[in-house]
Amino acid sequence: MESIAYVSRLNEFYRSQGFPPYRWTVNETAPLTRLAKPLNRCRIAMLTSGGVSRHDAPRFDPLARNDLRLDAIDADTSPHFFAISDSYYNHQDADRDINCIFPIERLRELASDGTIGEVAPHHYSGFMGRTYIRSAVVNEAAPRLAAQLRDESVDAFVLVPA
Amino acid sequence: MIVSTGRDLSAQVKPPRTVFVNFPMGNTFGKAFDASQQRAILRDVLAALESITAAGEIIDLAYKWHEEFGMNLGAGYQAKSD
Repeated sequence: MESIAYVSRLNEFYRSQGFPPYRWTVNETAPLTRLAKPLNRCRIAMLTSGGVSRHDAPRFDPLARNDLRLDAIDADTSPHFFAISDSYYNHQDADRDINCIFPIERLRELASDGTIGEVAPHHYSGFMGRTYIRSAVVNEAAPRLAAQLRDESVDAFVLVPA
Repeated sequence: MIVSTGRDLSAQVKPPRTVFVNFPMGNTFGKAFDASQQRAILRDVLAALESITAAGEIIDLAYKWHEEFGMNLGAGYQAKSD
């Protein structure tokens, strides 16, 4: 099947609710940094924005707006030690198996079989709120996260939006 | 590297690297407990770290979802429209 036209359908949804047109982020160019080493020597971390919290942390607000909370998640966390609180997508499968959106077990396996060098000490979960405060993300939250990744010598970062 | 289920959303943001999986949002890596497909998708995603050489490129993975699916806005959009 064709991929879903989220942009036009969300535009129509906002219009039907009487809201002004949503101002999407549209970038004409992108930066690209080549991997500095082969994949099988890289340290990899992941991020989910699917409202995923560890059981020893508060749940995310399922109706959050502008929530820039970002949890560091120990990479060896059990897949059964998570809760999902997010009212903006269907997470019935992910509730049963977190690997559907946050494949922490699969990444560990790919480290074990030598596909990647190693799993980073931490993954991340957050940025899940409907975020309308772009400058706070671009100028503050994202650089702070980038610095944390650098501190932990992460070579590549896999982001999984939800 | 972004693993996207919203191809048009990612195309306009233009991350450095995108891998698109035409699966429902919430099932980026497939179905619950289908470890072999989850692993295969993640393996493809990681391979794209090396194979993408043009900034902003999107790789479309060939996986097919087992049934038709739509945009699921979720209860949040109904509960609190903003």
